[in-house]
Amino acid sequence: MEERRIGVYVCNCGTNIAKMVDCEAVAREAEQLPGVVAARSYKYMCSNPGQEMIQQDIRDLKLDRVVVAACSPRMHELTFRGALQGAGLNPYFLEMANIREQCSWVHEDARAATSKAAALTRAAVKRVVFHEPLEKRYVDMCPATLVIGGGVAGITAALELAGADQPVYLVEREDHLGGNVARVDLTAPYLDSARDILAERIARVRENSNIRVLLESEVQQVTGFVGNFTATIRTGRDGEVATTEARIGSVIVCTGYQPFDAARVQSYGYGWFPNVVTSFDFERMLRSGRIVTDKGAPPRYVAIVHCIGSRSQEFHPYCSRVCCMTALKYAHEAKSALPEAYVYDLYIDMHAFGKGCEDFYRRSAEIKTIFLMYRKGSAPEIRQAGPKYDCEMLIRVNDQLSGEEVDIPADLVVLMVGMESREDAGKVARMVNISQDKDGWFIESHPKLDPVATTTDGVFIAGACQAPKDITDSVAQARAAAARILGKIARGRIEVDAVFAEVDEERCSGCRMCNELCPYVAIEYDETKKRSHVISALCKACGTCVASCPSGAIKARHFTDQQIFAQIEGVL
Amino acid sequence: MAERKLQVALYWGAACGGCDVAVLDTNEFILDVAAAADIRLWPIAVDGKYQDVEAMDDAELDVTLFNGAVRNSENEHVAKLLRRKSKIMVAFGTCAHLGGIPGLANQFSREEIMERAYLNNPSLEVGNRTLPQTQTDCAAGQLEIPRFYARVYRLADVVEVDYTVPGCPPHPSQVKAVLTAVVTGTLPPRGAVVGASERAVCDDCPRKKEEKRVARFYRPWQIIQDPERCLLEQGILCAGSVTRSGCGVRCPNSNMPCRGCYGPLPNVRDQGAKFISAVSSIVDSKDPEEIDRILAGVPDIMGYAYRFGLPGSLLQRSL
Amino acid sequence: MDFEPKIVGFLCNWCSYTGADLAGTSRIKYEPNVRVIRVMCSARVDPTFVLKAFEQGADGVLICGCHPGDCHYTEGNYKTMRRFPLLKRLLGDYGIEPERVRLEWVSASEGHRFAEIVNDMAAKIRAMGPCLARPALTEDPAQR
Repeated sequence: MEERRIGVYVCNCGTNIAKMVDCEAVAREAEQLPGVVAARSYKYMCSNPGQEMIQQDIRDLKLDRVVVAACSPRMHELTFRGALQGAGLNPYFLEMANIREQCSWVHEDARAATSKAAALTRAAVKRVVFHEPLEKRYVDMCPATLVIGGGVAGITAALELAGADQPVYLVEREDHLGGNVARVDLTAPYLDSARDILAERIARVRENSNIRVLLESEVQQVTGFVGNFTATIRTGRDGEVATTEARIGSVIVCTGYQPFDAARVQSYGYGWFPNVVTSFDFERMLRSGRIVTDKGAPPRYVAIVHCIGSRSQEFHPYCSRVCCMTALKYAHEAKSALPEAYVYDLYIDMHAFGKGCEDFYRRSAEIKTIFLMYRKGSAPEIRQAGPKYDCEMLIRVNDQLSGEEVDIPADLVVLMVGMESREDAGKVARMVNISQDKDGWFIESHPKLDPVATTTDGVFIAGACQAPKDITDSVAQARAAAARILGKIARGRIEVDAVFAEVDEERCSGCRMCNELCPYVAIEYDETKKRSHVISALCKACGTCVASCPSGAIKARHFTDQQIFAQIEGVL
Repeated sequence: MAERKLQVALYWGAACGGCDVAVLDTNEFILDVAAAADIRLWPIAVDGKYQDVEAMDDAELDVTLFNGAVRNSENEHVAKLLRRKSKIMVAFGTCAHLGGIPGLANQFSREEIMERAYLNNPSLEVGNRTLPQTQTDCAAGQLEIPRFYARVYRLADVVEVDYTVPGCPPHPSQVKAVLTAVVTGTLPPRGAVVGASERAVCDDCPRKKEEKRVARFYRPWQIIQDPERCLLEQGILCAGSVTRSGCGVRCPNSNMPCRGCYGPLPNVRDQGAKFISAVSSIVDSKDPEEIDRILAGVPDIMGYAYRFGLPGSLLQRSL
Repeated sequence: MDFEPKIVGFLCNWCSYTGADLAGTSRIKYEPNVRVIRVMCSARVDPTFVLKAFEQGADGVLICGCHPGDCHYTEGNYKTMRRFPLLKRLLGDYGIEPERVRLEWVSASEGHRFAEIVNDMAAKIRAMGPCLARPALTEDPAQR
């Protein structure tokens, strides 16, 4: 092998490293290693003078590899890669030794710390010898987007993208757009009409020539990678079926939620008592303008029960977020339609965290909604009222506010059913290769900092398919996802990280051991060549396939066997 | 005047004789070799004494095909002698290449082996419990036999090896190819593995490879196998994916799993480690207990991982 | 001199390496016996690396990855988990004691846990003495 010219730079980090590690001794020891032409210690390597020192050496001493023994590479690897690049060296010719976070800060014996720092530096020097120049690569970005689901999130995302003159395929399983919001009368907390919100937007979708709406359609398959997916969409039911092949660059999954099945909670007698209804049944009454019992009479007592299927050990542990305010909305709507009726609201905790919500709660009390608080785990029980009562049912509730067990009368009981992930969410997840959490919701790339992206590049999530949420948040997510995609489209091409796995087809035996292992389905098997290869744009460089390849035919760029062997030799 | 004939030696160290038979299995081709070469030493077939070899000039032999591992001082002595006398030293067959089946003895100490073979073996005659000694005094004087080493070595551990021909034994067609290359002087660059593929047995195996997910492992007799499908996918512990091809896929084509005799692939340092990777990769479970249960179906991991190559592995021997 | 074990640690970039860094930023003190090699995912750890470490004279090997279910790469750690039982059995057959090789899940927030694991492992191996795998490879030819 040709002789390397390596520079080693040991950072004192002020006294952060130097007070526990003899940096000069580490540099002197590194100087003895084969290929090392300069080894220096310096107060702050990451400072401008520090970086300039490295760049000067690269030019003067014709260095071709650089080792920086300093803080964690998670801290300054990009900084020093930049320094190398600035001096005309490939940035991947850098290796760092972590002698601060994993050495000087955690050890108390200076001699042992120095010897460990020297070993880590030695390992970095041995490793960097085998570093290869890596270049970032780019692939073209197809501007079209596939939006799966025509609810409020899907509609919003489609309009946003189409408004920027980008083509959209909006795929909806039902024969109309609108999703769950189309089943709703008014919205909380401002009591706007959901119909008004939707109708205007659906009309705009219909008019926009950039949006191709496919109703009664389902996405069958998505193949490819960010910027270059192909989706197969099937339209129509029994008999008349059409298939659309769409070339797309991005996907937004907006498949929403399904309501919890109230019949699963037996103590409420849903399906048994004709006047125990779910929130969605009640919305239907509200939309028709007639709140009546099964006998066609207006109820005198309306009871609204929260948390059906939510916040329960037995069903869903999570809060469905929208039900509390929806329940208050029902109280308002019931009171306004039936001013003489008594409205009871049975809740566990009143979650009124959104903008305008606490106000809304106060106003609900002002219109004389009677609130009762029950304990989690001790659900109210509904029974038939006897002839001596002027109501149809009685609800026994252990009221936490008064501390008493009371029976409240009811002619109509509304069960606030929670949200749950759709039954077939798993199918969607597998199709676009995203993950689900334990409750079936799709997982975002980062819960705080990257809430609409997923671990698959080019696939985004918006709306209640990610977790229970209201219209406001669904719309915000949909627009965020659209903005992310427009950003990628504006750049026109996608940067593919230089670090990924690649199959040496000369060594691949086509054993297919790796095919199933890749979490990103980045490994493709070519039936005619009988070889596997990695689609680099899909690869995230975890190295699972590399470790498993029985032929040693897969190489992890920047984490090659040779590099890691050298490091093992170096630390020991 | 006729051209000088090729000067050849064939020797066996710790071996079963199969490699020598493989040379004979080239059938009438061996006559061509005999016509083109003087076979100066071949203990299994030709009379020849060590003194004859000692009497040769250094590098007088063109090539030595050395089969067998180095188990005792005689193996090492002759290996060094032949190395000195040969222009080209070939590690011929798996035992010379990686230690082979005799290499499995590296799981045990010399003392354990001696005890098992000579003191504590049910087939020994009652009352006859004698440990062999390197030196024995008798009426005729002092007798000396080779010393049994503490472990088995590859040929390359004791002498410099120019070429390696893997296989237990090497396939006759590969033997022919190698001998032809020697005779015609068309050997590849020094250090090469000859008579084997650069790819795994799977490359040549005609069985269909699909999804690899296994919920139970089987030994060959525990399952009625699908003769068309990859054995490993059926849960049969086949080493084909971790083994160089060149054998003609003899075992899988006979409905038996590959045992790995051609050794690791060129980019692989340790065949057994890769065997572990391969077998574990296809276990179809995420539950630690179930994983343990499934992998409990893999018997004798050392034997499976290094059936032919323990002395050639990274750690070479058990402690 | 007293025996100080040399332990090679293979840490995944996203959880365990970050957790080890956190031990540093939190100034949690632990034994200097572990030398860390960063890999992107614990599933990159080829069993060959572990054998290589013992061949090179390691007294112990520690592999750390994200907790099951939390892998940055969805389920790489399950693949690490699957490889480990056979690797451990093989090392057992090599005569390398089970305490010398450990697979542990350390999240990015578990700096304390990382420190405890290192201390525990260092103490156990210190009590056991050096691993003999490397000396067994480098014996004097005359002693064959």
